[in-house]
Amino acid sequence: MALSESLARLRYKYIPDHLIGEILSKRWADNLVPLLFLLLTVAGLGSFIPNFFTIQSLSDASRQLGEFSIVVIGLTIVMLGGGIDLSVGAIFGLTAFAAVSVVYIFAMPIWLAFLAAVGVGALAGAFNGFLIGYLRLRAFLTTLVTFIILRAIFDILVVDHAAEIQLSDVSSPTWDFIGDGTILNLPVSFVAAIVVAIIAHIFLTRLRPGWHILAVGGSRRSAYNAGIAVRRTIFMSYVISGVCCGIAGFLIAARLSGVGPGTGAGLEIMALTAAVVGGNSLGGGRGSIAKGLMGAVVVLVLTNGLIRLGFNSGANQMVLGVVLALAVILDVRWLKNRHKMLAKVYVAPIYAKMDASRSAAPDSGSPYALNDRLANTEFIGLGELEGPEDVILDNDDHLYCGTRHGDVVRYFAPDYKRHEVFAHTGGFPLGLAFDRDGALKVCVGAMGLYSITPDKEVSRLSAETNRSRLSVIDDARLRDPNDCDIAPDGRIFFTDSTTRYDAHDWALDSIEARPTGRILCYDPRTGKTRTVLDRLTYANGVCMAHDGQSFFFAESWACRVSRYWFDGPKAGTVEIVIKDMPGYPDNINRASDGRYWMAWLGMRTPSFDIALRKPGMRRRMTRRLPQDDWLFPNINQGGVVKFDENGEISDVLGNLGGLSHPMVTSMREHKGYLYVGGILNNRIGRYKLDGADPAWTSNRSYWGAKS
Amino acid sequence: MNAFSFSRVLDFFRGKAITIPPMDGALRPNSALDDAIALAHIPAPDNLVSSDQRTLFSSGKSLYELGTQGGEPAAIAHFDSEIAALAACPDGGLGLALDDGRILLLDGSLKVLSTIPAIGPEKLFCPTALLFADKDTLLVVQGSSHVRPSQWARDLLELGCSGSLWRIDLRTGNHEALLKGLAWPNGIAAGANGAVVVSESWKHRLVEIANRRTCTLLDKLPGYPGRLSPASGSGFWLALFAPRNRLLEFVLGENDYRRIMIAEVDPRFWIAPALSSGIDFREPLQCGGVKTMGVHKPWSPTRSYGLLVRLDADFQPVASYHSRANGTRHGITSALDLDGRVLAASRGGNSIIELTAGAKKP
Repeated sequence: MALSESLARLRYKYIPDHLIGEILSKRWADNLVPLLFLLLTVAGLGSFIPNFFTIQSLSDASRQLGEFSIVVIGLTIVMLGGGIDLSVGAIFGLTAFAAVSVVYIFAMPIWLAFLAAVGVGALAGAFNGFLIGYLRLRAFLTTLVTFIILRAIFDILVVDHAAEIQLSDVSSPTWDFIGDGTILNLPVSFVAAIVVAIIAHIFLTRLRPGWHILAVGGSRRSAYNAGIAVRRTIFMSYVISGVCCGIAGFLIAARLSGVGPGTGAGLEIMALTAAVVGGNSLGGGRGSIAKGLMGAVVVLVLTNGLIRLGFNSGANQMVLGVVLALAVILDVRWLKNRHKMLAKVYVAPIYAKMDASRSAAPDSGSPYALNDRLANTEFIGLGELEGPEDVILDNDDHLYCGTRHGDVVRYFAPDYKRHEVFAHTGGFPLGLAFDRDGALKVCVGAMGLYSITPDKEVSRLSAETNRSRLSVIDDARLRDPNDCDIAPDGRIFFTDSTTRYDAHDWALDSIEARPTGRILCYDPRTGKTRTVLDRLTYANGVCMAHDGQSFFFAESWACRVSRYWFDGPKAGTVEIVIKDMPGYPDNINRASDGRYWMAWLGMRTPSFDIALRKPGMRRRMTRRLPQDDWLFPNINQGGVVKFDENGEISDVLGNLGGLSHPMVTSMREHKGYLYVGGILNNRIGRYKLDGADPAWTSNRSYWGAKS
Repeated sequence: MNAFSFSRVLDFFRGKAITIPPMDGALRPNSALDDAIALAHIPAPDNLVSSDQRTLFSSGKSLYELGTQGGEPAAIAHFDSEIAALAACPDGGLGLALDDGRILLLDGSLKVLSTIPAIGPEKLFCPTALLFADKDTLLVVQGSSHVRPSQWARDLLELGCSGSLWRIDLRTGNHEALLKGLAWPNGIAAGANGAVVVSESWKHRLVEIANRRTCTLLDKLPGYPGRLSPASGSGFWLALFAPRNRLLEFVLGENDYRRIMIAEVDPRFWIAPALSSGIDFREPLQCGGVKTMGVHKPWSPTRSYGLLVRLDADFQPVASYHSRANGTRHGITSALDLDGRVLAASRGGNSIIELTAGAKKP
């Protein structure tokens, strides 16, 4: 092996590329960029500025942070509802004035000052909400107008009453406590912010009106169609924002014991920057309170840091503007390209060297040499069936198969011309097995393991297994249950082919070649499912051996068949039975002569085998080419192979050119005939086996003469 | 090289897409080639020429004459190497190029008059098409300076660009290279005012060479242009012997993969254009080419395709005749216009076909 190839093998073995895609597919991935930015800002400024992290400095900062983050929370809620509120600074100033005037001018109690501040805030918010929600004006212009009007009112009031306030001799310990005091060493305003944040978080994530706001922001039309009162919801979001400004205004009034012309100036741009930098989408619907808070910390740290570095306030504003612009660009690009990016980075191929196989060429003379015998089959359901992955026959010789429409279809003996939908499961029914009582166990792709009684009653047996500790994606859920078989004691062993792809994307897993397949065991006595074997390379067919203590299983992309003992003296051991086949194995079933049938869903090609040694090439291929152009294994030609317990190949049935059965994913021997199914085929083949026992059925082989 | 690496850096972020020109306009797909009448079934027919009222073509090492009344084609001459190219001489004779590089000049009764031997890799090694400018001047294009005509896929995968155009004076035996550095020139026709038009396969274009100056007449073809032959009236027939394929164009940039594939894999199973495909299970398969519910999608990516294009006198396409991914008349390597009767050799489909009147006007 060349050095570069050894390096590639090590690199792809130890660097988990697939995690990028898995993390990006998580909803919480949206938080990563703002969090990173936050850490960078804090670390960067902290190392530049001496005493940045002293108690005094932090206490000042946290007091500011309290008021500021409450404003940001309000703005975040408006933005989540798809709006924007530019008037927060003006409302903030006005409410602060309201609180101050109640305390100093009218010498009224503090709680009244609080109510006045909140009331003024709610009123201003209601004004915004009425115009935007009910009259459906543009949020941007409306709140800009509100901002101008309220700011003007504030300026007039401040000029008129500043002296009066300053000369007032009212003093109140409560008022001073709110302004300067601490609870558990935390400034009051900071505690207030925590309380508001918790309430707002619960409101958004756990309560109906909060969900409504998110729904309206996500898609106004859909929310309307779902029966949500869109106008009222929008109105409410502005009122909430106003109330938040009121609380914050009250707090700053207490802290400063007064108001000045500068109170709340420029706050809207800071709050907006905070909300967007935190990762709340300007388009609405995406975001959270936590993101708003993260943004608030970033902005405050940034502005305070810049001031302490000696920048003047103009530079400060400019930095904020630049940060806002960057955040908006990132937000827009991210939202627009997230799915595209995920699709591009999700496929993370690994190095997988396939060892040379014996040839399957018709003239090669090897035991695998393909022939064209499967071309001579009768067709069942030609043109009616779509996607019979597995086929099975019952004791009355009726034929069952799944279809890609989510049905289990029954063809009636003896001529298999008539059919009915036996049951509808949804998903994509794949592997089938009859149990002792004649109930059909079905692996339903993308759903789980199901059971259908002879009375056509469908019930779910299993849809999850134990979650492994170190997986990013939720590997408890079954993504691609593929084939099942039943042990003599009724336990059902079934495969979940991959944890990385959904059932319909099964072929993409071949490009990745990452071993994530599993064999699971459903125990009917406990109703529990647990993982028996994992890290299999597309675990596919399962078939009980004739000894009743072990089963054979196929790993498609590894071209390998192994045997696992679940009972008896060798319990828990795995042995490879056949390796390095020229075809990709699929389902395995019993044959009448004590051997086993195995389906080949496709054939190895030299070009794909080399590609498996070139993970970088495969990765670039998935990024630069549309999926239709990707190199695949040759799944346009398959076959059926018979093998014994020692792995000796005794028979091969092929279809050269793949005109009758391009892909073979299953076969079932029944009374001297072989029934052949394929997941991408539109027919089932019925092939007369020469010399096979004409009375043998699979059910009798499993459950004895009784059934 | 620098620009290339820089774009690789950008690709990491944006993912560079590989695109090929769409079949549109005059190249809109149809199934005209699959609907055409088969005149003969014979392995790998090629090089249709009309000489002295007879229709000749090659198949492997033999020269055949097409029966006039629908009879079986008759072998009329055998050679010890595969026939690579044929051309009819105005005096009734034939020029015939062999895969081993020799060019034979035959008279009307197919007697070998003279042999132009392969004269070294720098000169004649890989004749891919011949044209008699007049009865004493033979124009030869050679596809490459180091591979034989039958190994064209290797030249493509090795990013070959060593083809050349030659003029041979048959009276004096003088050879003159008119142009070098062509990417597998594979067809030749006489243009206007003594110019020569050459199809340059690996660059998907037709170039005109006049007075040692070249200009591109037609480019961005969706397939690899091969032989050119004059059409009745005016204009030309252009056979595109294989389609372009995004996977292949991607592989052309993957040097490591390509090198291993060339070294280790049988050429039949390369990711490379082909004259026919889908026969052996060891051939590469692309996702879109997977047969689903018994259907092979005609628009799926494919290694082989049938495409014959009618060009006007300015070498612009006016009509096209297709056999799509699910068809069989693939690998059209030459066409012959006999006063409006258009024959085409489907080398991949092992047949000689005649375009039906219905198919002629798309």
